Amino acid sequence: MHIPDAFMPIWQGAIYWVIALVFVYISLRWAKNELNEEKLPLVAVLAAGIFALQFLKLPILMGTSGHLVGGALVAIILGSPFAAVFILTLVLIVQGIMFGDGGITTMGANIINMGVIGGFVGFYSFKGLKAATRSVPVSAFFAAWLACLLPALCAAVELWFAGTFPIEAGLLAMGIYYAIGGIIEGIVTVAAIYLIINVRPDMVDKNVLPEQTGAVA
Amino acid sequence: MIDNKTLIACGIIIAVVIGIVAVFFGSGDPDGMESTALIVQGQKTITSAAPPDAAIHTNIENKFAYHPPMPDYSLEKRMGAQGGVLAIIGGTLLAFLIAIGLIYALKVVGKKNPPKANQ
Repeated sequence: MHIPDAFMPIWQGAIYWVIALVFVYISLRWAKNELNEEKLPLVAVLAAGIFALQFLKLPILMGTSGHLVGGALVAIILGSPFAAVFILTLVLIVQGIMFGDGGITTMGANIINMGVIGGFVGFYSFKGLKAATRSVPVSAFFAAWLACLLPALCAAVELWFAGTFPIEAGLLAMGIYYAIGGIIEGIVTVAAIYLIINVRPDMVDKNVLPEQTGAVA
Repeated sequence: MIDNKTLIACGIIIAVVIGIVAVFFGSGDPDGMESTALIVQGQKTITSAAPPDAAIHTNIENKFAYHPPMPDYSLEKRMGAQGGVLAIIGGTLLAFLIAIGLIYALKVVGKKNPPKANQ
């Protein structure tokens, strides 16, 4: 889902950068105010893990591969969409500057898609679904699925503005591929949440913990 | 529960193992965005495989070009998969260290400039 430099004019990339920087600034304030030294190991491990998981390309049939985005996972585990903006920005900077995975001028658009939209959609859809279903795995799965699909559709619209994709073909193909890829995103997100809950339940947002564990006696 | 050192060690090891698995067993197919570009350019259909010689072309005139030190997660081509493994280990550790460094830096700045108390 990483938009390369060649897919977008510089001036459009600059507009997305300006918007992205607003969210990056707020995410830095979030990190400064909300992250204490106790959560530092988990945040750093999540950054490393998201980097590696985004590199793992899994076949999703139809001659196409998919990889984890991770915005929903980070936002749900740390209890804030700005956690996703913070960590996805770090990961995208390393990917873009060191490896050319995603562009430099398009990094703002990639931060918006994967960090901002992925984080906000993942966090708030998890919250709403959890309130409705009271099931963490079901809520996390569908939140992660949506947090994979919606950023892809937004990327298709951005690339339509850029003149790279026609809108119908872009939305259709991106929608199909990332709706399938979102299933992997959902499964990995649920598995990662339960892995982290099992090893360090004290570090995760209380909304993720099963109710009997998280309830106040 | 595991302690912080074990969490960091296990987390890094799992991330590196995922990266190494990806180097050797990751799909070589284009991702969804690349596939969509190939469809738009008539080199692929939604359900067909991409041809081996498929290449994405764009007609964006005002575009930026950047040459990263390790393009496509590889060191030098002659290093092959070993270069890919080194690149992914380096990238994973870099993401980890930048996260730790940035949070420490934010905390140091926060201590030097404590927020003003509400009146």
